[in-house]
Amino acid sequence: MALLEVHDLAFRFPRAEKLVLDGVSFSVERGERVAILSPNAGGKTTLARWLAGLLPDGVLKAERGHVSMDGKDWTEWHIAERSSAIQYVGQVPSQQMTGCAFTVFEEIAFGPCNLALPEAEVRARVDEAMTVCNLRHLVDRDPFTLSGGEQQRLSIAAALAMKPQVLILDEPTSNLDPESRDDLLAQLELLPGELTIVVLEVALRPSLALADRFLLLDEGRIAVDGPAIDVLTHPRCIETLGMTAITEAGRRIQNAGGWAEGRPLPLTLADALQTLQVPDAVR
Amino acid sequence: MASGSKQEAGKQSLLFTPGESLLHKANPLTSLVIMLWMISAAAVLPTAGTAILVLAAITVSMATGVGKRSVKRLLITMTPIGVALIVVHGLLIERPDQTDLGLVAISPDGLDYALKVFMRVAAMLMATLLFVTTTHPSEMLKALDQRGVPPGVGYLVASPLLLIEPFSDRAKAIRDAQRVRGLDLTGSWKARIIALPILLMPLITLALSDLDQRASILSGRAFRAFPRRTVINAPHDSTFQVWFRRILVAVAVLQLGIPLLWHF
Amino acid sequence: MLSVDDVTFSYVAGAPVLADIDFKVASGEVVAIVGRNGAGKSTLLRLLNGLFQPESGAIIVAGNATSDTPVHILARSIGTVFQAPEQQIFNPRVRDEIAFGPKQLGLTGATLEARIAEVLERIGLASEADAHPLDLDQSARRMVAIGSVLAMQPPILLLDEAQRGLDKTAITRLSTIIETEKARGTAVILVCHDMDFVARQADRVLGLARGRLAANLPTKAFFTDKALTASIGVEVPDVLALSEALALPPTLTPAAFADAYMARERT
Repeated sequence: MALLEVHDLAFRFPRAEKLVLDGVSFSVERGERVAILSPNAGGKTTLARWLAGLLPDGVLKAERGHVSMDGKDWTEWHIAERSSAIQYVGQVPSQQMTGCAFTVFEEIAFGPCNLALPEAEVRARVDEAMTVCNLRHLVDRDPFTLSGGEQQRLSIAAALAMKPQVLILDEPTSNLDPESRDDLLAQLELLPGELTIVVLEVALRPSLALADRFLLLDEGRIAVDGPAIDVLTHPRCIETLGMTAITEAGRRIQNAGGWAEGRPLPLTLADALQTLQVPDAVR
Repeated sequence: MASGSKQEAGKQSLLFTPGESLLHKANPLTSLVIMLWMISAAAVLPTAGTAILVLAAITVSMATGVGKRSVKRLLITMTPIGVALIVVHGLLIERPDQTDLGLVAISPDGLDYALKVFMRVAAMLMATLLFVTTTHPSEMLKALDQRGVPPGVGYLVASPLLLIEPFSDRAKAIRDAQRVRGLDLTGSWKARIIALPILLMPLITLALSDLDQRASILSGRAFRAFPRRTVINAPHDSTFQVWFRRILVAVAVLQLGIPLLWHF
Repeated sequence: MLSVDDVTFSYVAGAPVLADIDFKVASGEVVAIVGRNGAGKSTLLRLLNGLFQPESGAIIVAGNATSDTPVHILARSIGTVFQAPEQQIFNPRVRDEIAFGPKQLGLTGATLEARIAEVLERIGLASEADAHPLDLDQSARRMVAIGSVLAMQPPILLLDEAQRGLDKTAITRLSTIIETEKARGTAVILVCHDMDFVARQADRVLGLARGRLAANLPTKAFFTDKALTASIGVEVPDVLALSEALALPPTLTPAAFADAYMARERT
C-alpha cells in the first residue's frame, strides 16, 4: 500500500466556476522525494493543502475523490495523529509562524507541547530539530525578527519536531535569496532518508536539487509523472514552465543540428558539461 | 533593511523588563492576583487611600527595577487625563460652589471629584503596569497552561502581543507602497481622511487572510488536540503563594462586596 | 534621467548602511542592482523614490532633487513596484486599481480610459478588467500592481524582485513590459536576485557590497569578472559558466550560447 494516495480528487472553491483540481490521482511511496511542478494558477497550493490533510476543513469539501494516508482517508484522522504523520510548510516564511511563541525555542516546542508529550521528549525533539536546521544560535530570538531564510528554517524545524513521516514544502526557496536558498537546500540534504518529502514548485532549478521524481500538475490534472528528464523536457512542461537556461541552450543546439541522435537534453550545468563536446585543445 | 535595528525594535512591543525581584520571581498568577486586588482596592478606597496606593505601587516598581519604565508610561497616560478632568469637572461643569475668577469659574467640589477619579485611574493603571513590567507574557501563558486553562484562551492573550510587530511592519509597507503610487499623505486633513481607506483596505484584507492562514498553521501543529498542553520550564509555585492568592482574592471580593451591602 | 551623487545614508548615526554611492542611469537603459541580503539594495531603492533622504550627497530624479520633492510628486517621475506588490491592492475592480495612479496625476475621461485600456492589454488582463483582484491568482494580482505603476507612465521604473515566484507566461510578459519600456525611453532599474533574469534583461549591473558600490559595469563585463562576482556574492548565470567551461566566448543567454557553440562546431 502506498504511503500517501490521492484518488480522483476534484475540488472547487465556493462560488468559483472552474475546478481547481479536476481528477488528480497519484501515490507517493515511503521515503520518496517528489516534486510537483505547476504554473501559477495550476492548483499547486490547493493540492498541497489537500495532501497535508488541511482540507477538507468543514466548509471546503471535495467534489469527488479523496486523499488518504496509510490507507485511511484524511477525514478519519484525529488532529494529533494527523499532525504527527504529515507536516506542511507554506510559501511565505513570516506567515508560517504560529504567533504563539516568544522565542525560537517556543515556536519549535509549540507542536510537541500540544501533543502533551513528556517535557523531556519535547526538549529532545526541539534539540534535534534545531541541530538539523542550524538554529541553535537563534534559540532565544523572537521569531518575527528573523530573516526570511531563518524563518523558513524555523518553520521546517517546527514541522520536523512533530516527527512526521511526510513533509510537504510549498515553494520552499521562492522567497529566499541565493545564499539562504543554498543553505536551506544543504539542510534538506541532511534530513533522514526515510522521511518522505513532497515539494511543490514553479521554478525548475531548485526542484532539481530536491527531488528524483517529478509530476507536472497542469490545469488541475497530473499531466506527466516520472524522472526529471521525462518531465522537464515534456512539451507541456516546456510550454507552461519553460526550461532551465541550460536545457534551452541544449535545445537550440539540437535544433541547429549540433546534437547526437537520441541523446537526452541537459537539465543542469553538470549534465551539459557531460553531453556537450569539449574540443580536444581544451581537454 | 539592517537586521540589527529590527531586532531591538522587536523587544519594544513588550513592556516587560527583566529582573530578579520578588515580583519577577513570583508565580505569574500571584502577580495577576496582586494586580486584581489593587484594582479592586482602587475602585472602593477614598482619594487618600488611592493616593497611598499609587505611591506604594511606584515605590515597589522602583524597588523592583521597573520604576523608570512604569512611571514614564504613567505620566504619558495620566497627564492628558488629568488636564481633561480638571477642565471638565473643575471649570466647565456648573456646580453650586463655583467661584467666579473673572474669565473662568472654578469649583472646589469639582476639583475634588477630578482628583478622586484621577487617583483611582492612576492606581488601576499603576497596578497593571506593575504586572506587565514584571511578568513576561510567555510565563503567564505557561501558568495558564499549567492550570489547565484551555489553550485557546492562552492564544488570545499571547497573539495580540506577538502580532503587533508584523502588523505594524505591514502597515508601514502599505503606506510606502501607496505613497510611491502618488498618494498624498502630507496634505490637508480632508485629503488624509480620503486616503484612509486606501491604506486600511489592503491591511484588513491581509489581516483576514492571515487569520485563515494562522488557523491552518495551528491546526497543523495539533493546537487544541488535547485539553492540556505540556509546560516546559513551568513557573515556580508554592503552598505559600497558593494560600496568599486565595486570601487576596477573598479580600478583593470582600472589598468590593461590603460597600455594596452597606449601601443597600 | 537619474543621477545619484556621492550619497551616504545611515539608520543609526555613525554606522552608514550606504556610503559614497555614485552612479547615473540614462533614458532607455535597463540597469540591475545586485548584491547579498543586507548589502543595502532595499535602502538604495527607498532613497531613489524619496522614502528615505540621503544623509549627504544628492539624488536627482528626472530633474527633481529627492530632498525637496514630496514622495507623491516624485511618484510622477519614478514608479516603484515593491516586492509582493499584490499586497497593496485595495480596489474592488482591476480597472479601478489601474486607474488609481493616473487619477492621482489628474487624468480623466477619454485619456484615462485609453490609458487603462492600454495597460490592461500589456499586463494581459483585458478580459479581467471588471474582476475583483482577489479572485485572481497571485501572478495575475502582481501584474495588476505592476500595471497600476505603468499606468502613470513614469520616465523611471523601479522593479524590486518583480519576477520572483512568477511562472513562464508571467515572466515572459514581464520581459516584454521591460523591453517595451526600454524602447519607449524609460530608465528601468531592477533589484534582482535571479541572475539568469539579470543576464537576459540588463544592459548594466550595479553591484553593492557592504553598502558600497563595488561594481558599475556592462552586464557581460560584470559577470565575466570572477573575483568581482564572488566578492559581491552573486552567482554566475549557468549559460555563462557553461560557455566558459567549454572555452567558448562568454555568452549570457541560451541563444547566444547556442550560436557560439554551433559556430565552433561548424569550423
